[in-house]
Amino acid sequence: MTATHDEGLRSAVDRSAFLSRFRPRGAVWLAAPAVLVLLVVLAYPLGIVVWRSFTDPAVGVDNYVWFFQSAVNRTVLQRTFVVAAWVTLVSLICAYPYAYAMTIVGKNVRLALILCVLVPFWLSGVVRTLAWVILLQDSGVINSILRGLGLSPVKLIRTLPGVVIGMTQVLLPFMILPIYSVMKGIDTRLLQAARSLGAKPWKAFLQIYVPLSLPGVYAGAIIVFILSLGFYITPALLGGPRSILLSSLVQNQVLSLLNWGRGGAMGVVLLVATFVLLALAAPLMRQKHTSSRREA
Amino acid sequence: MKKFARALALTMTCALALPAFAQDKPVAGEVKEGSLKGKTLTFVSYGGIYQDGQVAALKEFVDKSGVTLLNDGPTEIAKLKAQVDAGNVTWDVVDTADLPPYVHCGTLFQKLDLSKLDVSKIPPGQVGECSVPAMNYGVVLMYKNETYKDNPPKNWIDFFDTEKFPGTRAIDGSGDPTGGLIEQAFKATGGDPKAMTADDIEKGIQKLRDLGPDTIYWKTGAESQQLAESGEADMIMMWTGRAMTAVKNGAAYTPVWQDWLVVMDQMTIPVGVKDTDAAYALLNAYLGANAQAVLTEKTSYTPINLDAKPKVDDTTAAFLTSTPERIAQGYQQNIPFWVKNFDLAAEKWNALLSGN
Repeated sequence: MTATHDEGLRSAVDRSAFLSRFRPRGAVWLAAPAVLVLLVVLAYPLGIVVWRSFTDPAVGVDNYVWFFQSAVNRTVLQRTFVVAAWVTLVSLICAYPYAYAMTIVGKNVRLALILCVLVPFWLSGVVRTLAWVILLQDSGVINSILRGLGLSPVKLIRTLPGVVIGMTQVLLPFMILPIYSVMKGIDTRLLQAARSLGAKPWKAFLQIYVPLSLPGVYAGAIIVFILSLGFYITPALLGGPRSILLSSLVQNQVLSLLNWGRGGAMGVVLLVATFVLLALAAPLMRQKHTSSRREA
Repeated sequence: MKKFARALALTMTCALALPAFAQDKPVAGEVKEGSLKGKTLTFVSYGGIYQDGQVAALKEFVDKSGVTLLNDGPTEIAKLKAQVDAGNVTWDVVDTADLPPYVHCGTLFQKLDLSKLDVSKIPPGQVGECSVPAMNYGVVLMYKNETYKDNPPKNWIDFFDTEKFPGTRAIDGSGDPTGGLIEQAFKATGGDPKAMTADDIEKGIQKLRDLGPDTIYWKTGAESQQLAESGEADMIMMWTGRAMTAVKNGAAYTPVWQDWLVVMDQMTIPVGVKDTDAAYALLNAYLGANAQAVLTEKTSYTPINLDAKPKVDDTTAAFLTSTPERIAQGYQQNIPFWVKNFDLAAEKWNALLSGN
């Protein structure tokens, strides 16, 4: 009885840590098929990419020297991370209340909300992006409405905000679903307990609920951020030259110039930069977890 | 009649098992009956209505030769390089963009043996060392009627003059730089494209950059058409095929034909194909007058056989680039220059397209 109760108090991450202590020996082999697939379709090609970046066309670090000497590459690399950060932030702002709403509404409304999240998954990203073109363009739906209301039109398409809007819509499900899955496991009696101990509603929410939901936020933010870094079609169609991301430059090197070594080096730089950023963020997240556990 | 006699002669010599004689004079569009029975050729192009049209153009060849024709696509030079590098080339005939057969001649694409092809009906100056044209089209300047009314732009110089002709420009940003456009931009700075040097590429690119931050670089032909149909830009650099479709769909734009940029797709045979002669047979059939007429009727692209007589409607005819008038107005980019400076031009072009 105590064990179940205790477990109910833990966040999802703590729960998995709790379970891991009871891992039977040999269970690790269950992961063998997945590991094998990853080795073949991820590790092997990635190894070739890395190898080529140091050997094609000549052995050495020429490709990396070229990458960092080019102002274009540096600007676009930086822009790629800035856009990914914006998309993550905007997604979070949209997704958090949405996921929360999913946990408190009735069954039918929740079903409708889930459908709204899932339907975009069934549509091609290209189709959705083209729909955004029609909405955002200068002669598009939004600007027609603004003009109709006597307001001055705004420049949306071929701007960075336009790209962020389009990418956010494509990536929103990846933020909503992890947050929702954590939120629905949060015991709302904790909030009642806090209220009964004299906490104001917003304080109970901020100090109890938000920390408990953080694992979902982190999971969603990491997925959205990493997926954003590799985006190609949406920035190409919704953005102008000032919103081209690194993947477009990689595509140019690989497909049009056949500089596979350079393309590989660009990919490796992006990958390493991502790892570095995640490594920097990891201690921050861990700290938050411990504090949330203390508060819980 | 003459052709028929020739074909008859060919068939007869073939029947008499004198292949050496038969190979002497290939005739565009013709193939020996049953000569490729049991063989398979993989034809690679860009898909969509274009490749459908090419397959329709090759139907007679397939029926007559007995070959099994497989289709693949879209053409990606990177994929071809992977095949050539791995020594396992599965693409037998490849339709490519303008420059790749020149840039990768001998490394990815075979040097063509012109004794195996009849190139006599191809418009002059279009046969490369490693390629024959697949079709012709043009890049035209389309202007919005409503914006310019009685004072429309007349050439590319006007396109680059944002003071006399204010308005948003849209440019082909779908891939490699269009050499002809950079030459025109350089001309607009007062330079002479015929005497262009590598350093002048930057001057041309800078002229494009000077068009301002609201310039649109479209990524696909469909996007350019959408820009015209929704009236997003005041002057659009467009492929003739897309321009024609946009006009058919009601886009109120007018083409400027002065110095339209001559472009073409190329037909190539990759290095290392398993049956080179079969690939040549396909190319030779493709170059025929009937095949080219079918291609134009199905795709609206300009045929590359001067004898082709396609039956098309008025709008399509208005955008064909093979009339004497159009040929006189066309502007041919300096292919050797752009092949030589391909990497430099691509680098500067990519810098422009990524906002630098």
